Amino acid sequence: MIKNNEQQKLIEQLNEKFGSDIEVLTKVCSEIIFKISLNQVQDICLFMKENLGFDLISMIGNDEREVEGHFAIYYIFACYRRKYPVVLKAFVEEDKPEFPSITLLIPAAHWYEREIRDMLGIEPIGHPDTRRLVHHSDWPVGLFPLRRDFDPQQVVPRYSGEDQFQRVKGHGIVNIPVGPIHAGIIEPGHFRFSAVGENVINLEAQLFYTHRGLEKQCQDQSVEKALFVSERICAACSLSHSTAYCQAVEKIAGIQAPERARFIRTVALELERLYNHIGDVGNICAGAGFSFGVMHGARLKEEIMKLNEAIFGSRFLRGINIPGGVRWDLETRKKKIILEVLGSVEKDFREVAEIILSNDSYLDRVETTGKLLHKTAYDLHAVGPAARAAGIDQDCRRDLPYAAYDQIKFVIPTYTEGDVLDRINIRVDEIYESIGIIRQALEKMQEGLIRVELKQLPAYQVAVGIVESPRGEIVHFLMTGPNNTVYRYMVRSASYCNWPALLTTVPGNIVPDFPLINKSFELCYACLDR
Amino acid sequence: MTSKIAIVIGQLLFVMALAPLLSGVIKKTKASFQTRQGPGFLQVYRDIYKWFHKDSVISEHTSWIFIVTPYIYFSALFVAALLIPTFTTVQPLGFAGDVIAVIYLFALGRFFMSLAGLDAGSAFGGMASSREAAVSSVIEPAMMLAIFSVALVVGSTNLGIISETFSSEIVFNLSHILAFMAMAVVTVAETGRIPVDNPDTHLELTMVHEGMLLEYSGKELALMMWGASIKQLLVYSLLVNVFFPIGIANNFDFISILIGLLSFISKVFFVGIIVAVIETSFVKMRFFKIPDLLAGAFMLGLLSLVSNYVLGR
Repeated sequence: MIKNNEQQKLIEQLNEKFGSDIEVLTKVCSEIIFKISLNQVQDICLFMKENLGFDLISMIGNDEREVEGHFAIYYIFACYRRKYPVVLKAFVEEDKPEFPSITLLIPAAHWYEREIRDMLGIEPIGHPDTRRLVHHSDWPVGLFPLRRDFDPQQVVPRYSGEDQFQRVKGHGIVNIPVGPIHAGIIEPGHFRFSAVGENVINLEAQLFYTHRGLEKQCQDQSVEKALFVSERICAACSLSHSTAYCQAVEKIAGIQAPERARFIRTVALELERLYNHIGDVGNICAGAGFSFGVMHGARLKEEIMKLNEAIFGSRFLRGINIPGGVRWDLETRKKKIILEVLGSVEKDFREVAEIILSNDSYLDRVETTGKLLHKTAYDLHAVGPAARAAGIDQDCRRDLPYAAYDQIKFVIPTYTEGDVLDRINIRVDEIYESIGIIRQALEKMQEGLIRVELKQLPAYQVAVGIVESPRGEIVHFLMTGPNNTVYRYMVRSASYCNWPALLTTVPGNIVPDFPLINKSFELCYACLDR
Repeated sequence: MTSKIAIVIGQLLFVMALAPLLSGVIKKTKASFQTRQGPGFLQVYRDIYKWFHKDSVISEHTSWIFIVTPYIYFSALFVAALLIPTFTTVQPLGFAGDVIAVIYLFALGRFFMSLAGLDAGSAFGGMASSREAAVSSVIEPAMMLAIFSVALVVGSTNLGIISETFSSEIVFNLSHILAFMAMAVVTVAETGRIPVDNPDTHLELTMVHEGMLLEYSGKELALMMWGASIKQLLVYSLLVNVFFPIGIANNFDFISILIGLLSFISKVFFVGIIVAVIETSFVKMRFFKIPDLLAGAFMLGLLSLVSNYVLGR
């Protein structure tokens, strides 16, 4: 296989450059897991990014003291050109819980490193931001929930503390606190605007208000049970999350879902993208008070969600995936229903999109508003429609293929301006692509098994599941424990990458444009507050 | 004299009773344009009734201004209702004030509302107050110019006399049309409708008028909401009775009052439906473009005034 030769070359390249500081630990399916020495982390990561063209897509801290007697930091890189991910693992000694920060070299690492500090108490040395991220000021110092000796049942005492926003000082500067409770029925998040009159100078967000401890909850659960948690990370992307999880389990088990199951996953994943994108195109109109778009978006989204329920028994597409395949088959009768509904939704949506995108007063609001710069998107590793609207040509369906996407023809639209209009345009284009993908998948689907049995999983094995959710790339990291249990589960959602990117797009705009910009990213708080 | 007083009181009660229905009709029309069923026509009455029966929650940081504002706002509109002709040209307090008084009564209510917005010290109220002040500083001159150019033709700023003068025939000349266009823009802005403000939004960061009401609850909220709908009806009456007072009752016999009532109701509801159409087909403007729109209205008013002199009547 070409990929094997390629990977062999990569291994040789890395060995030649770093010698004994890097060695291959294992190989799981298409991904190689390297062990690297802690003091070489910065050099190796920079070499991966600058010379080999890998992007940092996730970072995980793990408490492996009971297994190997130390903490570990995992760096997950992916190369969209080579189409495979690489995992680097560095050991951190228990009596010296610190690791060199790579944020100044690879800015995309900034939140991961802060989260590792909060959740595991491993200090990123040299990180420019010493404030807490996941924990707010009321959480006691020195209590780290993701260490395995932390008992999740205990009652944690809360303290009162000062919030830690950056202060913009000067004549005429107003600080506008917004949230964490909002007027609409949305999730909690606190935004702090620093503005002169209506012009925003700085925007900071304090998120992570509803941390549910899902990752902790999955510890020592069986892999079957953890599946249900993965489906409930977020409602709007629940199928993407369960697919990423199942893919990680399947990699560790060394099995592949049967072809028919992969086609069914593809159909369902695109249905999920459809209802999200159609709802989003409509909902962005709410930011400008354009009720026509909001109502018709909601109406068409409802059509797709009803279809989901008719076909898969769940409006949010839960209960479809299972490690090793799917639980719902698509009979010919169901295929016909899907095609019928898609036909009418497509026709209606074309009309609605045409009206929305030809309304001058609306275009005036969305053009040049909330620009995400290409450089910022690249540095912070923005993902999904937001990144593609800023000219980053990247989509996991094509670049790290999974399910049945390698057998289907589709186009990845990209735009260059990165403003609200382009984020709408991307979604409109992707809606038509998704409809095309579903039609192809239904046509190419062959009869066959939809599920294979999951056997005993090897213990302490690591794998990564990557899926392009409606909001962008999501990365699930899974490490198994003994007897088919989960040892460590980490979810890096699309919103995790895009929240910091969103904050950079607001300064320079005026305060009343924030809801519009925010809606055009359509980020999820739940994905963040795992 | 007695019948005059009866009609005066009748007109006042009529305005206060009809105003929520007008808001309800606009809401229902908008809903039907959005393929929704929407709340019933009477929902605004039910809301006001409900709020009157609820206790108020008042922030401990507020001063007396917050408490008196709803009453000042409502009474200012109450008085304005006595100065603006609706279905008859008789205004009870016509001797006491004219269109300038009306504009300043609106301004009085707005001034206190802005102060109340600031009073509770919440970020949204303050933002909304500053926006309201910015927008109203361009609304008022545009409104004055538009009405003055008509008043100039009549030779009086008394709204009853203006209506009476035009009530026999439709005036159709350049000055009148320009002034009407200016007043139409002002009507949308003054009543806080799209594209200037969005009365239906829940997004606090974008609010203007609604933002100042965020801290209100209970009876005070009822007064504010009722006041806002009365103000809307009064602004519509200004528009229709200054420019198209056809059918308005000039004397007190039963027939002419009936005609006056019917024509007034159909005219303001027609304006309401037009506003609903505008609200559905436009989106809220970028905030800093609102002065441009109102400057346009101001220019129309100015042109109307000038064309009066250049082209004659």
